[in-house]
Amino acid sequence: MPTPDSRPHLLARRRLRFLGLTPDDAIRAFFGGNAVVAVIVLALITYFLVREGAGFFGQNRRNLEVYRLAGLEFVDHLRAQEEAHTALTRRLSELRLQAFDRLSRGGADAGAADRALGGFDAYADRFGMAIDPLRALGSELAEIASAIKTKFVVNEDRKEERRQLSAEGRTAEAQRVEVAPVDFAAAARPLLAARDRHREVNRALAAELMSLLSAAPAPPVPELREPLELFGTEVRAYVSELPAIERRLETWDQARPVSFGEALRAFLFGRQWLTASFWQDWYGLLPLLTGSLLVAGVALILSVPLGVGAAIYVNQFASQREQRAVKPAIEFISAFPSVVLGFFGIAVLGEVLRQVSHVPWLDWVPGFPFSERLNVLTAGCLLALIAVPTIFTLAEDALNNVPRALPEASLALGASRLQTTLRIVFPAALSGIISAVLLGLGRVIGETMVVLLCAGNRIAIPDFTQGLGVMVEPVHTMTGIIAQEMGEVVRGSLHYRALFMVGLVLFLLSLGINFLAQRILRRYRLASS
Amino acid sequence: MSAPSSPFAPRSRQRRLREGLVIAVFRAATYVVLLAGGGVFADILIKGSRTVFQAEAPFINTTFLFSAPESLHVFEWEGRRREMGDREFRAFREREPGAADVRAESFVYSAGGIWPCIAGTLLLVAGAMTLALAVGVSSAVYLSEYARDGRFIRFVRLAILNLAGVPSIVFGLFGFGMFVIFFGWNVSLLAGWFTLAFMVLPVVITASEEALKAVPQGLRAAALALGATRWQTIRTAVLPYALPGILTSSILGIARVAGETAPIMFTAAYVVRDRLPWEVERAIDFLFQGVMALPYHIYVVSSKIPQNEYTERVQYGTAFVFLLLVAFVAAASIFLRNRLRARLRW
Repeated sequence: MPTPDSRPHLLARRRLRFLGLTPDDAIRAFFGGNAVVAVIVLALITYFLVREGAGFFGQNRRNLEVYRLAGLEFVDHLRAQEEAHTALTRRLSELRLQAFDRLSRGGADAGAADRALGGFDAYADRFGMAIDPLRALGSELAEIASAIKTKFVVNEDRKEERRQLSAEGRTAEAQRVEVAPVDFAAAARPLLAARDRHREVNRALAAELMSLLSAAPAPPVPELREPLELFGTEVRAYVSELPAIERRLETWDQARPVSFGEALRAFLFGRQWLTASFWQDWYGLLPLLTGSLLVAGVALILSVPLGVGAAIYVNQFASQREQRAVKPAIEFISAFPSVVLGFFGIAVLGEVLRQVSHVPWLDWVPGFPFSERLNVLTAGCLLALIAVPTIFTLAEDALNNVPRALPEASLALGASRLQTTLRIVFPAALSGIISAVLLGLGRVIGETMVVLLCAGNRIAIPDFTQGLGVMVEPVHTMTGIIAQEMGEVVRGSLHYRALFMVGLVLFLLSLGINFLAQRILRRYRLASS
Repeated sequence: MSAPSSPFAPRSRQRRLREGLVIAVFRAATYVVLLAGGGVFADILIKGSRTVFQAEAPFINTTFLFSAPESLHVFEWEGRRREMGDREFRAFREREPGAADVRAESFVYSAGGIWPCIAGTLLLVAGAMTLALAVGVSSAVYLSEYARDGRFIRFVRLAILNLAGVPSIVFGLFGFGMFVIFFGWNVSLLAGWFTLAFMVLPVVITASEEALKAVPQGLRAAALALGATRWQTIRTAVLPYALPGILTSSILGIARVAGETAPIMFTAAYVVRDRLPWEVERAIDFLFQGVMALPYHIYVVSSKIPQNEYTERVQYGTAFVFLLLVAFVAAASIFLRNRLRARLRW
């Protein structure tokens, strides 16, 4: 055993210093430094998302400017008119299908039904053909506009080539690269000149449609009277819209600059996400955002009752043994890798749901029967399974944190167990449960693999006119689009930056949800807990 | 107004029945969740075991577990349907003179095995967890042992909470922007390690802090009273007792690291790679190579190739191996933690 003198006194002052720090200070600083890592990572995420994504607005502005300068915008005004007419024509063929159905159910064979619809068919054909002159004009102008754009794009490529060559010091070769700036104003003159023709075409179109309406055939079946009248009013509305389109073409200003706000709006409220298109690329967030929200909505509708219900049962009514079995089991579900769930959706669940939807007595469910295997519902069901453990665990914690005195007092007053649970414990834990649901929502919105594999990946705003049936439509989501397209974009391109912008929106959204959850938790926490 | 009934009067039968019904509904919710989870688990387990196990010795399909993926060729030969992997098919064509122009249907990745994916996943998990544990435990030590509650610490905690809520695909984007592009590491093991480590950091910190908090204050006070410095106290009186807790809870982080696909999609994973990770020329290349990984392989085989009886084997087989791996880790973590909680009552 060492003598007391052979080792330094425990309370002796240490003199060793490094950079003015005692070893203890240094250790403390080391640990402190590690604690700050979380803050740094959060800052770095923000920085790199912004760094890669911020160029988007400038590039998109240029993109939209070219869209305007090359006259694509001009032609799209025209095309909108054409598309509205096509929609009306489609309505007519739907009506024909209805009438045909009605007739054949009434006992007529196919030939007889076709004969009975002869007058209607001639009418529909003439209606469809009325647009032909406008269509011809449209495609003629589209060719001019896309030629201007091609010229511009080729020119930009040449400029880039020249810049690279001269950067490499090959000046002579750089000089040989021909760059011919596009004179947009001159190139678009044929477009502007076509406005007179457009007016004439429109006048003829209006006259044709009005004469068609006045000579409309009698409805082939009485049920069609009302839809046909409705169709008539729509056609009249369409015709009365024509001058507005002419005015839009008249006032179209090729040289009007695209403002920064316009580029921002085109992203945040853009209704199209269209990439690698030969006409014009659009990067609009709305289809992806609605897709994400729709899938998350379905997932929450399923998972909130299940998760909260299970939490109430396990916390309030289950026996000790049941608790010990159920809690780890649900926690275990949270460890299922999402890509495995996604695979399950493709391999099994999608098909099962589709077949369930074809069961005759389930016809009343909105959207049933459906034919797309992968849709909002499939993805939503699987996401619900992902969200349930999160919601369950946090909600159970919240119920657990309710001070014992509350339920005890309630029971002592003679309330039953169910009354105590529903009127005392549940309200007391409500803030915790709401924040659990919010965190579940965050989990669901940020989930990638399930929606990438099972949501159907159709980039369009789903058709909300069919009410709840919208939940069996295929959609694309914010997380899915990043995962799908990031691998194949050119670094630094507009598309690449657009994906980073989507990531930034996702990041901010998740921060917002998190913030809200904590705020609710803190604000409404019981004083005694 | 009728006289109030006695509070001690027995409840009517009808009311009791109604209460029982409501409770049964809550109970049903619990079991629906368990049933759904169990259903998914069972489906993958049953269909996947057909690929992974076999009837004759050694009962485990070693080709599937320990070889690289190949294309599967299916063709008719002498009236019989034959299925062959790439190499076998080439050898067969050389051997059989008449087979040179046989028309075979090919399915990529559907023959051979998934060994490179298993190896890649293990490497990714090991590296990411080492990083995350080093930073996470130190961070938790600071938060629980050194820090005094103040504005800065609240800010750090807020950052940790928020980091936990960041979607995994955003981590993928971030890793791509920072490690792959800005640092120029390309798609590499190193980039994957850092991305995944940052992603599980909140899990590790929270778990470690819980374990550190569970060590009773008395131990610290005693050590300090004996004249030990802070660090000596932590080293001798706190960390040894917190370590089991830290490790078991951190296993849950492993499940998360192994299970996520989105962060490694653009930072570390290759669709296919011929060489195994350790077959590199220089040691440094080891860090800067992309690897195949199980979750990404599942994504590839379930979305990029058609669903049929031939491809189903590799799909379910991969999902089986992956699910079992993650499930084993998760179950171990949950089991150990519950045992630890029961045992450690200070």
